[in-house]
Amino acid sequence: MNRLENELRKAMKREEPPEGFADRVLARVSERKQFAPMNFLMRPSFRWALAGALCLLLVAAGVEYRKDKQEQARGEAAKAQLMLALRITAGKLQLAQEKVQQIGALQRY
Amino acid sequence: MMADTTAIGTMTADLPEFADLVRAYQRMVFSIAYHFLHDRAGAEDIAQEVFLQLHRTLSSLKSEAHIRAWLCKVTSHRCIDYARSRKEDLPLDRIPEPVSKPSSGDPLMAALVQRAVASLPPKVRIVVVLRYQEDLEPAEIARVLGLRVNTVKSQLHRSLDILRQKLGGTLGDVES
Repeated sequence: MNRLENELRKAMKREEPPEGFADRVLARVSERKQFAPMNFLMRPSFRWALAGALCLLLVAAGVEYRKDKQEQARGEAAKAQLMLALRITAGKLQLAQEKVQQIGALQRY
Repeated sequence: MMADTTAIGTMTADLPEFADLVRAYQRMVFSIAYHFLHDRAGAEDIAQEVFLQLHRTLSSLKSEAHIRAWLCKVTSHRCIDYARSRKEDLPLDRIPEPVSKPSSGDPLMAALVQRAVASLPPKVRIVVVLRYQEDLEPAEIARVLGLRVNTVKSQLHRSLDILRQKLGGTLGDVES
């Protein structure tokens, strides 16, 4: 070992930490423990459970949306069929009315 | 120089056991930070954060030997990060005089050496601190810092050259 290394070892002797250092560390640890109920929010298991619940919610919402869309489409089809039936009926009634009017006119003459 | 250890039982995060750990390693952790930063308040901040991190990760550490290596590693990385965040590259004349007096030897020489070490680039400085404060071998330093052994050896060699230059005539008096 040369003189420089010797001086380095002497200059780098371990220092005592400031008075009360350990107590301050332990106080901070205790402080954190008091907020431990909040810590479960940071746990990976909680985060996975939350992610799973959100996925389920999204899937359920998707299924519900799809069901709604199908109901709506069925309603639209039924409405279109009803409109068609009404148009046919109206056509037939018009025809019948014309026939009645023609018969009435013939009888008058 | 091994850690100033006391008997540590199982690696639990219970407060009494953790208090033993803090008391056993506080000098080592604080001194690494202090010799790196040359600032007692900054060193205490870093040391406190290191022990809080230890408390969070204690259950994953297998033995006391792991704890010592873990503490050296985390303290070293926090010191380097701290220096980076301050973009620290202090010239020798801006480095403060040490507050605490060296315990033995020539106090003036020790102060000069400490100031010269504090002016080294952060990554090299931490190698010097681990080598001469903790007496770690280059292979151990390489493991702690995640470097190759040859890199550690060359950094040590380079840092000794720089320190010789910085200390100049003062060291000449010593080496003669």
